[in-house]
Amino acid sequence: MALASRSARLALARLGRLGLGSCGAPRRGAYEWGVRSTRKPEPPPPDRVYEIPGLEPITYAGKMHFMPGLARPVFPPWDPDWTPPKFRRLPPLHEHPLYKDQACYVFHQRCRLLEGVKQALWLTKTKLIEGLPEKVLSLADDPRNHIENQDECVLNVIFHARLWHSTEDIPKRETYCPVIVDSLIQLCKSQILKHPSLARRICAQNNMLSTTWNRGFREGYPYPYPHTLYLLESANLRPHRFQPDQLRAKMILFAFGNALAQARLLYGNDTKVLEQPVVVQSVGTDGRVFQFLVLQLNTTDLASDEGVKNLVWIDSDQLLYEHFWCLPVVRRKAVVEPVGPTGFQPETFRKFLALYLHGAV
Amino acid sequence: MAAARCWRLVLRGSGLSLHTAAEAAVKAPEVTGPDVAAAPVARYPPVVASLTADSKAARQRRVERWQATVHAAKSVDEKLRILTKMQFMKYVVYPQTFALNADRWYQSFTKTVFLSGLPPPPPARPDTEPAPALDVVALRDAACDCLLQEHFFLRRKKRVPLYLEHEAITSPFLDQLVASLTGLLSARNPALANAALDCKRPVHFYWLRGEEIISHGHRKGRVDALRYQINDKPHNQIRISKQLPEFVPLDYSVPVEIPVMNCKPDKLPLFKRQYENTIFIGTKTADPHCYGHTQFHLLPDKLKRERLLKQNCADQIEVVFRANAIASLFAWTGAQAMYQGFWSEADVTRPFVSQGVITDGKYFSFFCYQLNTLALTAQADQNNPRKNICWGTQIRGPLTVVASPVAEHRLRTRRPSGHGSRAQPLRGTWDLPRPGHEPVSPASAGGLSTTAPPGKPEGTPMD
Repeated sequence: MALASRSARLALARLGRLGLGSCGAPRRGAYEWGVRSTRKPEPPPPDRVYEIPGLEPITYAGKMHFMPGLARPVFPPWDPDWTPPKFRRLPPLHEHPLYKDQACYVFHQRCRLLEGVKQALWLTKTKLIEGLPEKVLSLADDPRNHIENQDECVLNVIFHARLWHSTEDIPKRETYCPVIVDSLIQLCKSQILKHPSLARRICAQNNMLSTTWNRGFREGYPYPYPHTLYLLESANLRPHRFQPDQLRAKMILFAFGNALAQARLLYGNDTKVLEQPVVVQSVGTDGRVFQFLVLQLNTTDLASDEGVKNLVWIDSDQLLYEHFWCLPVVRRKAVVEPVGPTGFQPETFRKFLALYLHGAV
Repeated sequence: MAAARCWRLVLRGSGLSLHTAAEAAVKAPEVTGPDVAAAPVARYPPVVASLTADSKAARQRRVERWQATVHAAKSVDEKLRILTKMQFMKYVVYPQTFALNADRWYQSFTKTVFLSGLPPPPPARPDTEPAPALDVVALRDAACDCLLQEHFFLRRKKRVPLYLEHEAITSPFLDQLVASLTGLLSARNPALANAALDCKRPVHFYWLRGEEIISHGHRKGRVDALRYQINDKPHNQIRISKQLPEFVPLDYSVPVEIPVMNCKPDKLPLFKRQYENTIFIGTKTADPHCYGHTQFHLLPDKLKRERLLKQNCADQIEVVFRANAIASLFAWTGAQAMYQGFWSEADVTRPFVSQGVITDGKYFSFFCYQLNTLALTAQADQNNPRKNICWGTQIRGPLTVVASPVAEHRLRTRRPSGHGSRAQPLRGTWDLPRPGHEPVSPASAGGLSTTAPPGKPEGTPMD
């Protein structure tokens, strides 16, 4: 044992207990050997180091163990060069080597802007225009761009995502949201026969974008231009999902981030008005409601309030279908609602396809 | 007996009564008129074995009644429900397994013959024009792009440690590869353009094969069928709406013998469990894309090449690939056949064909499977000469990434503008005023917020 005398041990235990502020009873589960007596333990002998000027103390330091009669050595304070991470204390913030005086606000995937779209527009010096640009809408309405049996294919996609793709009776949003977006993109890709330039695209999932480093991918990447961002809200519980307004704000900021990184790559780090604007699209969905966004970055000069502004076209709250019945609704042995979607709107998929084909047609 | 009780439950549920056959036999002669004189009229109910007796004939009659309900089921869902609703202890077969010589065991479970190499090419039809030449360079470029994107170019939040490399890098690489190759090859194969692509969707299959004598329990000494279930999760699969053409005719006789294992499947090791019997191809029966094209499987870290070499199992590397292919493709084709209404007593009338690619990220192996028969139960297999066939190639590879400064420079200079740029940025919808128009000062370009946009300048290079 570390301490030989029982009284010293008890004293230490009592000190420990007093330090914790407990009522003096031993810790739960702590058994103490020995007979308890009511006599107070004698105080420990004070450890004094005597300094007599002019005399060199003879200590037991060289003997490496205590020797009664020799003086107590004074060792230099030990400075451990390594602390375990559990006990490490962080230096105060202003002593950190990377400290800057100006605060930098970080926006990530789970940030919900309280003011929503208004805050996002102010942060990115952007002007909002309701509805998609005419070029994209003309692509949507052009019958040459439509896939044959488009409505039937989209209905099949909805059925597949909401009902067929898993053995459960009612699949959850976490599974059906990515399935529906993947299937819609696959349906759009079937147009590759008509527009071969669609083949020169690649999809990157879950990658990190960081505009402070001014790069999304490394140099030499053969697909450096971001085309469309697909943001999915696939949490099962409604409080975990973003509200439509917050989702639109997140889409604006991420599209802006991509466009800014692209602009820095093309035109350098200095803030200026761009001769050739950078356009990035974004689609946000929770599996049923779609938000479409086209952002045009005209300037990287964000410090001033005047001057050329960036533009964003938003088409919000486009329902693909109102509701999907996974099991038929039967009232008094008659099928009131069959299995399938209600309130299907083919217009939403046309806009989705138009955004996909934009730039390649 | 448990079996008798179960059959009785089935019978009660389906609403058939003991006297149905007798009544039908009695009523039939009244319907036919003058033709009756030719056939002898039975004036008493047919003499058949009892339904409830404790005898082999009674059991046979009960089994036949159950099979009749399956034949009489109106929809495929109902048929599958009747076939899978009774749960008994069954062997759980894992396609990706570390068991030694698992491919020979799986061949015996699924009555499959393994042939090395690829199946014979289809005979060239004179009426169709020859297919356009395959643009191998473009395909190789696309594969390189996918590989480099995942391994090198993509920036991730944290550096991926070695034990997570498999799921964080190899898995997305395979996703991208499948998607880009499907896109590029859809020009040659229009079926691929309309195909459905599934990522990590489950595939289940339940079948019966062989018999055993029950060793202990209240049914000791009786004969019981062996049941198997595969619950597979291919990494990617392509499903199409039209069936792939057969490689060889349905009754093609292969001279190779199927391995016969002389001991119980428990020796593999294979373990029994009782849970839901499911048959699933990746979607439910209502989906129009109900035929399979290709499956892609990614072998887990546990079965990687280096580990097997360290365990002195160098010959098992091929076995791992083959066992995975046979089990997964049999399950998929079997489930596709059952979705079309075939089962062990109603054998397939056309072969079901699918393909598979098994990889561990670096080494690839290609397989083709043709399902010729679903009749694997002891009763149906008595006079069944058909065998399922699996073709497989040797392991090809490795596919490696070299990311060095030399390679980076080579990549950067690999894209001369003469080849046409690989990617196009999106052009702005509202172009800013260009020199050539009347000069607009940037300050008053805030007019972008109020009035109509400036006219599009002519001669803008839209390339």
